[in-house]
Amino acid sequence: MRFIRKTRYAQDIALFRHNGQRFWYALLGVLVVAAPLALDDFYLGEMAQVYIYAIAGIGLMILVGYTGLVSLGHAAFLAIGAYAQAWLLTRGWPFPLALGGAALLTAATGAAVALPVMRMTGIYLAVATLAFAVIVEQVIVHWASVTGGFSGMLVPGADFAGMDLASPRAFYWLCLGVLAAALLLAANLLRSPSGRALVAVRDSEVSAASMGIHLIRTKTLAFGLSAGFTGLGGALFAHKIGYLAPDAFTLQLSIMLLLMVVVGGLGSLHGVVFGAVFIGLLPQGLALLRDTVPPAVAQIPGLEPGVFGAILVLVLIYEPQGMYGRWCKIRAYFSEFPLYRRATYKRQKRYLRTERLQ
Amino acid sequence: MSLFQAEHIAVSFGGVKAVQDVSFTVHSGEVFSIVGPNGAGKTTIFNLISRIHDVDAGRLLFDGDDITRLPRHGVAERGIARTFQNTELFDGETVLNNLLIGCHVHRRTGLLAELAFLPSVRRQELGFRRTAEEVIDLLKLQHYRDHLIAGLPYGVRKLVEVARALCMRPRLLLLDEPSSGLNPEETEDLGFWLDDINAELGITVIMVEHDMGLVSRASHRVMALADGALLTIGTPAEVQRHPDVLRAYLGD
Repeated sequence: MRFIRKTRYAQDIALFRHNGQRFWYALLGVLVVAAPLALDDFYLGEMAQVYIYAIAGIGLMILVGYTGLVSLGHAAFLAIGAYAQAWLLTRGWPFPLALGGAALLTAATGAAVALPVMRMTGIYLAVATLAFAVIVEQVIVHWASVTGGFSGMLVPGADFAGMDLASPRAFYWLCLGVLAAALLLAANLLRSPSGRALVAVRDSEVSAASMGIHLIRTKTLAFGLSAGFTGLGGALFAHKIGYLAPDAFTLQLSIMLLLMVVVGGLGSLHGVVFGAVFIGLLPQGLALLRDTVPPAVAQIPGLEPGVFGAILVLVLIYEPQGMYGRWCKIRAYFSEFPLYRRATYKRQKRYLRTERLQ
Repeated sequence: MSLFQAEHIAVSFGGVKAVQDVSFTVHSGEVFSIVGPNGAGKTTIFNLISRIHDVDAGRLLFDGDDITRLPRHGVAERGIARTFQNTELFDGETVLNNLLIGCHVHRRTGLLAELAFLPSVRRQELGFRRTAEEVIDLLKLQHYRDHLIAGLPYGVRKLVEVARALCMRPRLLLLDEPSSGLNPEETEDLGFWLDDINAELGITVIMVEHDMGLVSRASHRVMALADGALLTIGTPAEVQRHPDVLRAYLGD
């Protein structure tokens, strides 16, 4: 078991807690940066897809995991980011500017959506965001002069300063770099007052307001940031799929993004990455598995969504903290062996909240 | 010198007149207690001050300014902190983070600076941490610093709520039944902390409290309410002897 002697307050706001953590993150960094040297193009493409899911998932995690607002419409933000990226590139914007522009435009849309849905929470908010996603889908279909309508839109090739960013290796490194930057921004947000304000709004609005937190501004900020990160993921997603059509951004994609943050573990950035790996690699894992089981089982229709759903239900029943929560328990088990107590992570009872106020 | 004034405030919910025509003045540096039977309107007055409810009539003045129509977060920005009767902490966070959220009113950095975690943000974080640690030392919460709120006993939660309010470095502190749910020993400690908060930090306190022992020991003046109406204001001894107060508690 590791004991950290703290002598300065700065140690508590550092991104990494101790040298052991620095070592493992550095090792992971080296491995993922060097991965293109060992893996073939197919696996690089799959990993780039995982990074894109993770970038979009950071956005959804800020909203769902940290601010406690559920969205069933995040595929719409992914779509806005993707179409904005393609449109800005056709206007001749250089690649990095287009990427930033797509993210900012999506963030502005998110903040604008926040205003009408501000007073909703829970299931009502989920339905409102779902309606928003439908509206965006219809706009994409009908605004043919910009989006190409049903027939879709070709995404211009990604290149910058003479470098071709569309080759599998370059695109892999691009997605990795954007993910690392997005994770850093999100980690910075969460260790500063704005991030704590999000958590405060999640846990008790009445109390947050009496601490001087502006509820409307904070929720608008949460929506804007969430949409911005998801739009950034969408911009990269556009290059990944190469051709944009309205049916690429369905309700199923929104639900998949939501599953990602729930299965990964709500309320942690680790959870986003774990969830993205899970969501991105599960179909491939199932495809590999399909070759080994008897054909009668492998050919059952709807096997993939079935397994997907079963895993989700099992996670929600047995590990509501998600994959990251399970990882923390495993780590605690080994670091405290043989003194680990199961009760450490038992869910505590909540005391009655004041009812006079609501 | 008067720090806070309520002038003829009234509010009703449907047909229930929760507070009717109540006026009082709180002087700078005093501990002012509000007592009364259940349903007298004590917590409602707190909710009017912190703008959870709108007053139907009357005015609230803080330091000479009219705060009757401020937005909720504006009340905190003026320097009025409060606690809640059944605790309203941020359950998913540690004690330390709850206290840091208490420092939020002193935030001077913008979103972009925070996303980049500029040196100004780092300095501000260290400053917040120092404030939080001072409060932790004052209320002896060192042991619980990194505990999640969800796992803490009720008495500690009440204290963390007071600590979080103190992190705002308020000029006026509203304590809503600070001793409810505490055992006699904890209540006695609370009396000492109240003295510290009032005398050492110089914070004016308005307290809703049922424990008459604590009220007479800690407060300078007491206001008694019954059924939303003001009965009397005076020293603890005067209020306890006042015939209207005795009638409100004991009946005719």
